[in-house]
Amino acid sequence: MRAAARPGPLMRPLVLWGVPGFAALAVAILAGVVIGETPLPFGMVAAVFANHLLEAGHVVDPIDAGIIWNYRLPRTLVAAACGAGLALSGVVLQAIVRNALADPYLLGVSAGASTGAVAVTILGLGGGMIGISTGAFVGATLAFALVAALARAAGGGSAQLVLAGIAGSQLFNALTSFFIAKSANAEQARGIIYWLLGNLSGVRWPDVSLALPVVACGFVICLWFVRALDAFTFGTSSAASLGISVRRVQVVLIGMTTLMTATMVSLVGSIGFVGLVIPHAMRFLTGPGHARLIPASALAGAVFLIAADVTSRIIIPGQVVPIGVVTALVGAPGFALILIHNRSRA
Amino acid sequence: MFTKSLTTALLGASWLALAQPSLAETAYPLHLTNCGVDLVFDKAPESAVTVGQAATEILYALGLGDKVRGTSVWFTDVLPEFAALNASVERLSDNDPSFESVVAKRPGLVAVQYEWHVGPQGIVATRDQFADVGIPTYTLPADCVGKDNTSGSDGTRTAMYSLDSLYLGVAELAQIFNIPERGDALIADLKAREAAAIAKARDLALADASAVFWFSSAEMDIDPYVAGNGGAPAFMMAALGLRNVIDSAEEWPTVSWETIARSNPTVIVVARMERRRFLADDVEKKLEFLKTDPVASQMDAVKNGRIVILDAHGMDPSIRNIAALEVLADALAGFGLK
Repeated sequence: MRAAARPGPLMRPLVLWGVPGFAALAVAILAGVVIGETPLPFGMVAAVFANHLLEAGHVVDPIDAGIIWNYRLPRTLVAAACGAGLALSGVVLQAIVRNALADPYLLGVSAGASTGAVAVTILGLGGGMIGISTGAFVGATLAFALVAALARAAGGGSAQLVLAGIAGSQLFNALTSFFIAKSANAEQARGIIYWLLGNLSGVRWPDVSLALPVVACGFVICLWFVRALDAFTFGTSSAASLGISVRRVQVVLIGMTTLMTATMVSLVGSIGFVGLVIPHAMRFLTGPGHARLIPASALAGAVFLIAADVTSRIIIPGQVVPIGVVTALVGAPGFALILIHNRSRA
Repeated sequence: MFTKSLTTALLGASWLALAQPSLAETAYPLHLTNCGVDLVFDKAPESAVTVGQAATEILYALGLGDKVRGTSVWFTDVLPEFAALNASVERLSDNDPSFESVVAKRPGLVAVQYEWHVGPQGIVATRDQFADVGIPTYTLPADCVGKDNTSGSDGTRTAMYSLDSLYLGVAELAQIFNIPERGDALIADLKAREAAAIAKARDLALADASAVFWFSSAEMDIDPYVAGNGGAPAFMMAALGLRNVIDSAEEWPTVSWETIARSNPTVIVVARMERRRFLADDVEKKLEFLKTDPVASQMDAVKNGRIVILDAHGMDPSIRNIAALEVLADALAGFGLK
């Protein structure tokens, strides 16, 4: 009982950062449900939540109730899961390849997803029986497999991994352009571009039941390897000298981030910036230790992407701006401020 | 009944009065201004290549099938009445033909449906490029009259589409090929059918009926492509007394289901097409979505079964607009709307 009276080293940051962090997430989710193209009063949102969670039986217009519970809530939850997943992937890859520029799309996942999506919609692969999402997921994993094989053949170091990722991305981007040039007309190409820029409008409950477990698994695996991630930032040889099975940890963590990123890309398209910037921004707040960096990045990524989604819905009335545009438009200046602030503090 | 026949008679009389009597022969040289390009024909072209199904079907309907050396840009099967004829005409490509494949046919005219194929930014070629090799091009006025093709992904209508621009295209093509009387006869037939369909719907005296035209969606649940307030569907809705719930000047804007469901249209029109790029191209998938989506299924039109299935190419400016108008008018009459 004495331990509970005096918070341990892990408990203190949990109270200090965890409580406001989760409060911010709750507020963001609520905002994601209340704010949208059509204004719905807060009281109605509360009534719908009460109906579903407590079977309160309030009378709400079925269309409005459906918009709240079946469109906006799943959309907001998937935005949170994507933000958290991309931020986590960014943290892990930056640690493993020891490169500040590493982002979740480093290993060709995004380029592969585009190729898969184009193969389905423009080449007609699957004969109209499979959707863009499935094509994107298959393309993303194939691209990563190729990049991983290439990196292995080149010697398996982190520099080789980054270079293989660049080569793979270029190859798959070229394939995408080739398919579009070969058989698409303007109308089809547009459908793809719309999707590639990131779009959450098609998100429903089944997507939530895919995104949330994937991110939860990723989060637990990251926490499990906290010590290894800390060691990796000092290089693979120092990690090995600490008794860490470098190859095994690399395979597990890179495989996990690829699965997570591929799932997110196939659900909502390639949303840039989150995976690159959130980890850096959080490092300024929490320091480089992964025990704090991982939960902080996951939370911040979730809140950031919900905020970006809300912004994308209201920035131009009556029109939804691709969320990838918003993440960069809002995120880049914000990140610049953090960089400058950090310099003046140092 | 009296009102109906009177309206039909009045509408019929008005087009008869407006229709200009054509000479049996075109007077050459024929000068035309077509979508901002001046054309001069010294004689009727011997042959033609078409870029766009609507242009192809107009030439067929004018009885010019024997002059067509090649077709391209097909959206759906040819109209059944032209199936035999079309089988004997070479199809240069299902989609966009290359510039050289068109030129290789040495056509006396290239008849074009859309400016994004042959036009200022044409992906096949510009009209100048064809003019440079001595091939005149004719673009259906339906794609340029009251339409700005430099903005919006399918262009933006500055004025609502009207069948007059379609009839103008038919009349001018008939003039170019020296068959003005055949053009007049075709236009008269189409106009009579248009008037009858409109009269049928007007008889219902719809007070506040609204509609949405759903073309397709990039993904099943994603924001769908729906008809804006300027294209052929908007014209049909206005002509038949329906209010379009979509407020956008774009030809096919994407609008969220949230907005569509809340505007709760009286009637939902879904497109049937053979294209299978997106899951939602399949009309059955669209109907399934409407019945199963938790929000869309709550719309009055879905609950009351007021869903009309319409040929997708009939939603593009083409002679199919008239058949689409008829299908829609018949469906409205069957819904028992007040």
